[in-house]
Amino acid sequence: MPQYAALIWSTDLEPSDPAFAAMMPRYDAFTHEAEAVIRGGAALYNNATATTVRVQGGKGGDVVTTDGPYADTKEALTGFFLVEAADLDEAVTWASKIPAAWDGSGCVEVRPVLDVG
Amino acid sequence: MTAPVDAVERTVRDEFARVVATLARVTGDVGLAEDATQEAVVRALQVWPRDGVPEQPRAWLTTVARRCAIDRIRRESQREGKEAEAVWLLDPDPTPPPESVVRDDVLRLVFTCCHPALSAQAQVALSLRTLGGLTTAEVARALLISEATAAKRLTRAKQKIADAHIPYRVPSDVELPARLKGVLATVYLIFNEGYAPSAGDCVVRQDLVDEALRLGRLLHDLMPDEPGVIGLLALMLLLDCRRTTRVAPDGTALRLVDQNRGAWDARMAAEGVTLVAEGVRRTPTLPDPYVVQAAIAGCHALAPSYQETDWDAIISWYDVLLLVSDTPAARLGRASAIAERDGPAAGLAAVLAVEGLDHHAWWHGSRAELLHRLGRDQEARAARDEADRLGLNTPALRSLDASLSRPASP
Repeated sequence: MPQYAALIWSTDLEPSDPAFAAMMPRYDAFTHEAEAVIRGGAALYNNATATTVRVQGGKGGDVVTTDGPYADTKEALTGFFLVEAADLDEAVTWASKIPAAWDGSGCVEVRPVLDVG
Repeated sequence: MTAPVDAVERTVRDEFARVVATLARVTGDVGLAEDATQEAVVRALQVWPRDGVPEQPRAWLTTVARRCAIDRIRRESQREGKEAEAVWLLDPDPTPPPESVVRDDVLRLVFTCCHPALSAQAQVALSLRTLGGLTTAEVARALLISEATAAKRLTRAKQKIADAHIPYRVPSDVELPARLKGVLATVYLIFNEGYAPSAGDCVVRQDLVDEALRLGRLLHDLMPDEPGVIGLLALMLLLDCRRTTRVAPDGTALRLVDQNRGAWDARMAAEGVTLVAEGVRRTPTLPDPYVVQAAIAGCHALAPSYQETDWDAIISWYDVLLLVSDTPAARLGRASAIAERDGPAAGLAAVLAVEGLDHHAWWHGSRAELLHRLGRDQEARAARDEADRLGLNTPALRSLDASLSRPASP
């Protein structure tokens, strides 16, 4: 069965933000509802904690780190779910139940997982 | 027995979608189905003009395409060093699937090609290619893009269908209305680009109009009970029945008032009007927007002359249209009808009341015409220049200039 990554692009919140705590029950409800199809996932700390890494001069070269996310967009990549679905329609149906898709905080990007095995 | 090339090409085009659809069901891969069908088509175009069209062209194409698909799968699996998974494709039973199965397959294909996860551009290109049977080169010509761009667009779309597992399936009853809307929008987009090209010097691009009509007939054949399908086909017929009268010999667009109604295609108009009646009957309380737009076009088709047009009826239909689909374009259409019934001053007031169109060339064009009829020529010129600046296409601009140079007749 194909797998899809549901990437959550939403308001960049610090975990200490009251809005973060307010959001949690919505996500708990979703993970409960989608338990049977969720194959993985994580919530991420906010953008300010991100470090972007590049190596200059090829493998083994100087590691250059910059403070912040790679893409500084209005909505941040705040988490993701890995879901199993028969086809894109089914994946979209699950994605549409993720709070970020409907609670006004952002949107969900659905990407098929490449099977490299 | 030989066959004329025209007839061969027509047969091949007519059967294309059906063969792709059958193969897509058997292989589960729309891209592979289309490539294999294309290969079969190339052979048909070589063999049929010489030997004649076989008695069952679809069965012939399906058999050849099936063999091509098997060859492709074998080559692929040899390259990857995998066991061929196509053994089950080697169905020795040559009976072509019954008509009802083929119809269901084509219907699935329609919803795959017009899936909302594909961009509108991709849906248009795929519909022309896969459902309409156009070659990639013909798709490129139809969309005024290079063949390389068309090929890339089609390849990307098919890649996404495969990689993201866009389903090959008719949507459930719950999803159907929204999904059907998308299918109709894609066909109407193709029609509009032919009927009123957004770019270029042509008043009309009949090739695109004809493609859209063929797709409209295909949808009507597949879903004869859907009001939207009935309405869209009716609308296209009632607009296109004017096909021979919309362009002057010098290439200018002719306005409705200047068209020779006697030369309108009476058979298309009659078919359209019958469909409108059916569409209205099927949705008496809340008519489908395409049915309503077709009804408006039907009022024009039924009027013996421009002067005898029933503007009251047209304005009532516009009121219904605003109820079911309130768009700036519909409001502008209603305002133009008001101008015809109540005079240019009332019309101009109605045009000015339409919000959200000031970045639209047509809105300024309508304004220019009405200002001219009111004798406010300086403002009319300014509005005309604004329409030009916003990219009013050449034939429409020439037509507007022609009416601005006529003496005002309110």
